[in-house]
Amino acid sequence: MAEVEEGPAGGSGSEPLDLVRLLLDEVVFVKLRGDRELQGRLHAYDSHMNLILGDVVETIYVVDDEEEDDEIRTTTKKSEMLFVRGDSVVLLSPQNSS
Amino acid sequence: MENGNVATQAEGKDPAGFLSDILFKPVTVKLNSGVVYKGELQSVDGYMNIALEKTEEYVNGAKRRTYGDAFVRGNNVMYISAES
Repeated sequence: MAEVEEGPAGGSGSEPLDLVRLLLDEVVFVKLRGDRELQGRLHAYDSHMNLILGDVVETIYVVDDEEEDDEIRTTTKKSEMLFVRGDSVVLLSPQNSS
Repeated sequence: MENGNVATQAEGKDPAGFLSDILFKPVTVKLNSGVVYKGELQSVDGYMNIALEKTEEYVNGAKRRTYGDAFVRGNNVMYISAES
């Protein structure tokens, strides 16, 4: 399925997953479906983008209908270790850059 | 890749050929959610996973965030556009 593309000529860092490999053991920012974001240390990943994160802070954005102007509230949750199923991942980035 | 497994296809008619043409150039990536990323295209794979550099994130047209490097999972991608 993913066999086309680029080819070996691309040289160093020629495919997107190489970027993720560089982030192993680093603190990363992950954007998920459903207006959720994670920050944590990337312990492991696979080609589905299943992730194992450590010392995670999850931020959830909710539009609060109770408030008058549909104010956006954030909820945070902390977990020591988190397995993230790959299909909910939208974006992954080193944390230091945001 | 021209002499690879796509040799039978006419040059420029292959979407993947377009992608290798715009590699390392500024691009706009729109996701199905409507979020837009602008940055330099570092790499793309067959899933349309994308690595971007110097990325700006736009939500509803307003800039939200910037990322030095960003990996975008391919299933979220609506289109990749070369920025003029």
